[in-house]
Amino acid sequence: MQWLTVFNKELLESWRNFKWIWVPLVFILLAITDPLTTYYLPQILEATGGLPEGATFEMPEPPPSEVFMMSVSQLNLIGVLIIVLITMGTISGERKSGVAELILVKPIAYHSYVTAKWAAYALLIWISTFTALLASWYYVNLLFGEVSAGSFLRTFFFYGLWMTLILSISIFMNTLSKTAGLVLFFTITLVIALNLLSSVFAHVVKWSPSLISSHLRNTLISGELSSALWGSAGTAVLFIILLLASAAYTLKHKEIS
Amino acid sequence: MLMMQNAMQLLQENLAIIAPLIVIQIILMIAALISLIRTEETNGPKWVWALVIVIFNTLGPIAYFIFGRRFDA
Repeated sequence: MQWLTVFNKELLESWRNFKWIWVPLVFILLAITDPLTTYYLPQILEATGGLPEGATFEMPEPPPSEVFMMSVSQLNLIGVLIIVLITMGTISGERKSGVAELILVKPIAYHSYVTAKWAAYALLIWISTFTALLASWYYVNLLFGEVSAGSFLRTFFFYGLWMTLILSISIFMNTLSKTAGLVLFFTITLVIALNLLSSVFAHVVKWSPSLISSHLRNTLISGELSSALWGSAGTAVLFIILLLASAAYTLKHKEIS
Repeated sequence: MLMMQNAMQLLQENLAIIAPLIVIQIILMIAALISLIRTEETNGPKWVWALVIVIFNTLGPIAYFIFGRRFDA
């Protein structure tokens, strides 16, 4: 199985690069920072002073689901950046250094080269997202109150789809440019544009994949899966398939040199 | 005396909550240092990276993992 060979090679490389250690850890840190700082906010304010003697300041206790969503939005900012940073050189770097030529000279189809790389990173990202949300979920339950296991799993699943879409965009950009910096720039620009457009047209287009996290917030509060969330998830899957297909296509029809 | 006890108790209770945070940061730092020792070439001098990893917690190791090594290596 040539697909498995590329997949295993990619996993081994990520392991040797310590990606399997640091990416989950950083995701966990990102996810638990917000619940912790929110919990300690009264103490932090007290310690740093600024409140006059005898002043009482009632801190409104945020609902548990809101704190859980804070972790998600933290991952949405820096987690997305990290995904793009770790994947920006995966194909472009190999094309630049000639490794891609060495690999593709062997009987390996372009699409299996692309999808095997994509799958290896997707596995890393799904596991990192899972551990991060699990840690956040644990802290929220410990410090604020109950968020149901069902909500946690739903958030993980739909949010993982959005992260996978980011990965797919990055893989696609990898086949367009050989410079890692440009891959980073194009991917981030596209993600920001997608976010902007879908928040501007949120009332018209409800199925944009970048609305997944805002749909998730509503789902956490109401407790039921909306059709808009399923729609966004469907669009995300569609985009992922399209991006991977076009990545294989551009890689094939562009001269590798 | 009572206040001291209260403060100690507060610290101990909070330690259980904060400890995982500290442990993760330490693991990150150690992983980055091991990786730094193993790689032959880095972007820029090695000892600078060692300082960055040790001094800036969390951000230092991340910066090293992302920018420290060469892409074509």
